[in-house]
Amino acid sequence: MTIENKKGWISWFNPFKYGTDRWMYALHRLTGIALGLYLIAHVWETSNILNGPVTWNKIMVDLDYPFGAHYGPYILSLILLVAVYHAMNGIRLTIVENGLMLPKPYRPEFPYKAKSLRGLNNLLKIVLGIFMIVISIVGVYYIFTGAVL
Amino acid sequence: MRESQIMFMQYLTGLLIVVFGSFHFLLISVLSPAPDKILYIYNSSTTVHALVGGTLFYANVKAVYTSLAWGSVLELLLTFLVFHVFNGFRTILSEQFPGGRAEKFITYSLLIIALIVFIWGSRTVVVALNGGL
Amino acid sequence: MQEIALKGFGETVKTVTFRIRRYDPEKQELPKYMEYKIPVQMGMTVLDGILYIKEHLDHSLSTRYSCRMGICGSCGMIINGKEKLACQTQILELGKDLIKVDPMGNYGIVKDLVPDLSNLFRNHEKVKPYIIREEEEPKSEYLQTPAQREEYAMFTDCILCGMCLSACPTSATDELYLGPQALAQGFRYISDNRDLGFNERLNVLDSKQGVWRCHFSGACSEVCPKGVDPALAIQLLRQVMTTNVFVKFKQKGTANAPERKSVSGVS
Repeated sequence: MTIENKKGWISWFNPFKYGTDRWMYALHRLTGIALGLYLIAHVWETSNILNGPVTWNKIMVDLDYPFGAHYGPYILSLILLVAVYHAMNGIRLTIVENGLMLPKPYRPEFPYKAKSLRGLNNLLKIVLGIFMIVISIVGVYYIFTGAVL
Repeated sequence: MRESQIMFMQYLTGLLIVVFGSFHFLLISVLSPAPDKILYIYNSSTTVHALVGGTLFYANVKAVYTSLAWGSVLELLLTFLVFHVFNGFRTILSEQFPGGRAEKFITYSLLIIALIVFIWGSRTVVVALNGGL
Repeated sequence: MQEIALKGFGETVKTVTFRIRRYDPEKQELPKYMEYKIPVQMGMTVLDGILYIKEHLDHSLSTRYSCRMGICGSCGMIINGKEKLACQTQILELGKDLIKVDPMGNYGIVKDLVPDLSNLFRNHEKVKPYIIREEEEPKSEYLQTPAQREEYAMFTDCILCGMCLSACPTSATDELYLGPQALAQGFRYISDNRDLGFNERLNVLDSKQGVWRCHFSGACSEVCPKGVDPALAIQLLRQVMTTNVFVKFKQKGTANAPERKSVSGVS
């Protein structure tokens, strides 16, 4: 009698030992779920604009002071980071998953390092990573100080 | 719909969200009609939270929602987001629960939730555009 | 020279502990780990270690192997958390005193380290891994230039070890997903200029459990022992699909086999 030996959904978020692309996949999925749930909350939150100034301003202040302290900017920064990561990796995936910026079929040579995970794909990761860092720094700086770098 | 067409839409809406989403971020910062381009005015000495000049103050947000241009940007962004998000959820859930019956259930229940979110968000934009409740 | 190379050969270098997941279908028990201590010699692979256990320590240990040189693809297993061919993994190169050996994931376990690969073969069959032609009997051989062969040659190296499905995060939950191996083979036949079966395979490849469930995590290419790069094949296959979304795909292959002509010098 054979038994099931599935790794299960936990392995989506287990990127160890499989290279950078697997890390980015795990983070992409995690940030995607987080942003999706955030969208639902955000749609509810912004719908309060119809309930008049008192409700709106109260909600804005309450969301700025969750758990009794001024965590608002930190939460906003986290949302920004998550969104920027998902956007940048999404751009990379749109390019790469449609077969662009990948090598043509080649002759594998020992030690059989896959070229599709390296080369231009790596370049894209680095370039978009730099974009991500720049956008995040500008955004987080704005959230905390209100000044544009 | 064939799966390749759905995924084509997924990529397309993803790119459009990047464009419209960056508008959305600019909307609460530099492009805001608020006098002070700042999210919160936080006075640390008195720990009093003042929003009056900030981009998230009621009047300033209301000004955004009553402008037709920004309203349509938000509505388009909502449309793309709802498709992108719920198609993503469908993908993830149908990978967790594969098979015909489970997949049908996932598709239709997510479609209903997506419609609720879309209608709820559109209601905000449309009603605010027409001057509020 | 040769004496230096052979110095230390055949001597026990160190003792390594193997922690192997055991499952016996005849006992009503869940899989459990058992430890074995093995004297390691130079050049000893993990498969050699397992065979040492089978010979000296525990005869009931089951594994599947055949060629011992990375060609048959029978001995894929998870060694220290990553899919590897046991016959190609040197114990001393791993550099660990504890080696954890698991059967491949995402398959059923028949016994101990033997996975049930029927899922892999079923998926492989689904993509029709053979050349599809309109004519029933070829009148002559189908011609192909070396450049045309290069377009798919790397994907023919697949040895069906099934490690890509074990590493794939989508296969970890979705047993209906075709998997990297089948999709790569699908692409191999689609990009073959002798093949005319794109539209026949489209229903399988473009289905809900087909090519779009890949999210390019690259794990399959990372573990592939032959450098087949299934991830590349899947992305290139998707390129074919996306160009086919609104414009109907034009079959690449030659419509008919060339007539046999007597050419001097070619038999």
